[in-house]
Amino acid sequence: MATHSVSIAFAGSGGAGVMTAGQILLDAAAKAGYYGLMTRSSGPQIRGGEAAAMVRIGTKPIAAVDDKFDVLIAFDWGNVHRFAAEIPLLPDSLILTDPSQGEIHAALLAYRTRVADLQMAALAKAIPGGRVNMVGLGAIAALIGLPIDTVVEVVSDQLKKKGPEALQASAAAIRAGAEATAGIESPAQLAPALPSSVEHWNISGNEAAGLGAVRGGVRFCAAYPITPATEVLEWLAPNLADLGGVLVQAEDELASINMCLGASFGGVPSITATSGPGLALMIEAIGLGIASETPVVVVDVMRGGPSTGIPTKSEQSDLNIAIYGMHGDAPHLVLAPNAIDDCVFTTQWAVHLAEALQCPAIVLSDQGMGQSRAVVDRPADLAFIARRVTAEANTQGYRRYALTGTGVSPMAVPGTPGCMYTADGLEHNERGTPSSQAADHQKQMDKRADKLADYDYGNHWADIEGDGEVAVITWGSITGAVREALDRMAERGLKAKLISVRLLTPVQPEKMAAALAGVKKALVIEQTHSAQFYHFLRAFYRLPAEVEVFHRPGPLPVRPGEIESKLAAWM
Amino acid sequence: MTAQAQTLTAKDFKSDIKPVWCPGCGDFSVLSAVTKALAELQLRPEKVAVVSGIGCSSRIPAYTNVYGFHGVHGRALATATGLKLARPDMTVVVTGGDGDGFSIGGNHFLHACRRNVDMTYIVMDNEVYGMTKGQASPTTDPDWCNSKLTPEGPGVTKLRPLNLALAAGANFVGRGFSGDPNEVARLIAEGIQHPGFSFIQVLSPCVTFRSEQRGWKDIVRKDTLKPRHTMAEAMQVLAEDDGFNTGILFAGDRPPFQPGQKAVTELAAIERRFAS
Amino acid sequence: MNDVAVFLAHALALEEEAADRYSELADTMAVHHNDDVAALFRRMASFSRMHADAVRGRAANVELPHFKPWEYQWDGPEGAETGPGDRTHYLMTPYHCLQFALTNERRGRDFYDGVAKSTTDDEVRRLAEQMVAEESEHVLVLEQWLGQTPKPPADWDADPDPPVVND
Repeated sequence: MATHSVSIAFAGSGGAGVMTAGQILLDAAAKAGYYGLMTRSSGPQIRGGEAAAMVRIGTKPIAAVDDKFDVLIAFDWGNVHRFAAEIPLLPDSLILTDPSQGEIHAALLAYRTRVADLQMAALAKAIPGGRVNMVGLGAIAALIGLPIDTVVEVVSDQLKKKGPEALQASAAAIRAGAEATAGIESPAQLAPALPSSVEHWNISGNEAAGLGAVRGGVRFCAAYPITPATEVLEWLAPNLADLGGVLVQAEDELASINMCLGASFGGVPSITATSGPGLALMIEAIGLGIASETPVVVVDVMRGGPSTGIPTKSEQSDLNIAIYGMHGDAPHLVLAPNAIDDCVFTTQWAVHLAEALQCPAIVLSDQGMGQSRAVVDRPADLAFIARRVTAEANTQGYRRYALTGTGVSPMAVPGTPGCMYTADGLEHNERGTPSSQAADHQKQMDKRADKLADYDYGNHWADIEGDGEVAVITWGSITGAVREALDRMAERGLKAKLISVRLLTPVQPEKMAAALAGVKKALVIEQTHSAQFYHFLRAFYRLPAEVEVFHRPGPLPVRPGEIESKLAAWM
Repeated sequence: MTAQAQTLTAKDFKSDIKPVWCPGCGDFSVLSAVTKALAELQLRPEKVAVVSGIGCSSRIPAYTNVYGFHGVHGRALATATGLKLARPDMTVVVTGGDGDGFSIGGNHFLHACRRNVDMTYIVMDNEVYGMTKGQASPTTDPDWCNSKLTPEGPGVTKLRPLNLALAAGANFVGRGFSGDPNEVARLIAEGIQHPGFSFIQVLSPCVTFRSEQRGWKDIVRKDTLKPRHTMAEAMQVLAEDDGFNTGILFAGDRPPFQPGQKAVTELAAIERRFAS
Repeated sequence: MNDVAVFLAHALALEEEAADRYSELADTMAVHHNDDVAALFRRMASFSRMHADAVRGRAANVELPHFKPWEYQWDGPEGAETGPGDRTHYLMTPYHCLQFALTNERRGRDFYDGVAKSTTDDEVRRLAEQMVAEESEHVLVLEQWLGQTPKPPADWDADPDPPVVND
């Protein structure tokens, strides 16, 4: 029976080419007109450790990883059982194993899944230069009904540099793998791809955040590497340079955020990307950005915490530090993309808001989005680009922190004659001169709070979908799984409204009240151990009388089925 | 007057805000030296930025009539680096004290030296934290017992800022004394003009917490440091240095770090690479 | 110093630098609420500016060379009449202030005296001797002024409160 979505896990030890196989499968699916999503998992070894590439392909845009995998193909079994919890299988799933490469671990056999043998090592060996992962790739393509020619075409594009021999070897291995599946019953054959007028993009969440930044006008980045945010910075490095911007590698996160503030003070929209430990180090300087009213965007690609935590796995547990981490009363922007492609929009919007409001913005992405790669519709072009209110040259009696009514004061860009001022993290008067007087403190605090509170954020503050007396309130990457769960509930005739909050602070109580009008009960869904989002909502929003929360920490992704069961029991 | 640019004097670089420093503080001289140097170089005030962290000496930006950023403790060099890389057309001067620069900001100091961005860092060294009531700093002698925090003395070897700067790769290294503000002005002007990262330590007495430093003027030796052009020669000079020689120790020829800022492509071209 | 223009440039800088220092000290005394001394420094500054104007008058027909601040040929680190900042204190009294000014005037007089004795140029010598006479007069005035000013009490710098904690 043709299906609209299949999920495949490639597993094996480093050197086997697991990630390459997954990547090519995703690229080939994209070329054939499908949507897709690839996540990855690795052991702690830098090289040679166990690895898994998990690919989901479908005829419609894919919002989340599925509940189970249709096929697990292992090039070898070295420690692959460590991924057992991440690769849920059903009895009608299929494990493809090469008997020459070891036994299947009990943890995986416990799924009671159908097993088929595939002599991948022997097949690869028979082809000069043939590789096991190409044999496996061919087998998978044949089993799910992806055209082998398309797979070969993609490989040819990618191996161009390696010369015709490598190309021939790969093509032969792919075809050998495909042929070897004769006699193995396919667990899931893909329905034909639907025609689409929209261009498809193959993009990771971290690349998407980088793209959103440059779309928004960012031309400076100070970078300090950290898992799982590094790819944002690595994507920006060549692309910022090509666009006439600058990326500098800093000595630590304390430096990177302060470099961004310096560049932004100089009039150039600036960004940095980090993860929890780095964000913790940046907090003091983000406070400086708030007090000195210097725009800056910090993308926090969240990982399991606290401390070094689980660097390679996703969690939504930096919500509290992003919202409450600053010392003092420090109003600022916190935004969260809720899908890989939304990383483009939300980061772009964050740049726009930071510049317009002269305020730091924290963008909460996470490992689940950042390091996953998706085939999506091309994200729409939006008119949000950095626009800062600047001071005219020789403004008479220029006051950097003048009270203007909107809370936003013209910011003189260095180089502007006659408007020289000193930006200050000390409390100051309108001119910027340090002041500890009560009246100045009150006025400047009001100014910094009001400019955020009074701004019109339009309807981007949340994605609101569906209708009904029941609402699910969520945020960030977990929205994808919630969407899929709600779709399944709708197929069962159970309707619920989705509210996925994109603008976390400043809070939007009136808009939330409108969104919740007529809602009798609400379920809050998040990936934290301590229900941070739920407590945040309770603190700032008037929620329906009946509210429940579904929350659990990482490292395992929250799957649609989990939410579906919760919803089924609760609705 | 014709269309000729008006000549700027040191006064044009001073703001109308009066320093909070104690009368007798060496920092007055450094403020005066900075403004004299900027005037001597005839820089436009709007094309100059003074960046600082926290501490007595870090108050300088507001006292100047140029762009300024008074940031957080210890991070001035990072802030200034971002500014200069984003705006290479600006002349960037960084000011601060020994605690701000060598303790909390120590890591940034090392990396600013080796990164060699074209800016000038002036550290007013009084071997004490003034704004928090006189605690030992990294340049305090180990047996200085006048702080409640370290009543037996800090007991730790004092840091040698010039040695550190040289070892870390600063392209211009000098030392001045606030009692000789015109000479400090010379060092600053030379530092600004020298490409890359220039580090100038200014011995700047704290009359409140280290009143004995008033005696420095009898110890400091004028212009005994002459510019060496190799690290080895400069290191040799430092081996015999007691911290009271002044002048220019080192003037190197490393090219400054300034990544290019020339656009070679458009966003649309970059976006096309995502198309599958 | 054997050139009239060079000599006059020094004479002008001597007064201007001294005036700037006095103004700076007046400001800082005002910040520290030592108003008597602030006023006194302000007067010293205005005297120095008057003297600077007088030098400018003498130099009306001379094109003065430009010296960088560190190129002047002073005997010490700063201009011959510029008071060293470290000789001040927030609790200093008018007596200290006049002592400070007197020291500066004597240094100024000595500077000109040195030029007069060492120069080979007759015009420079004539001008320098004139200046010595003027500075000697200032010294005399200050000595008299000081004589009429009450001496500070022994505990003039006693402050029962500790220094303030700032940032």
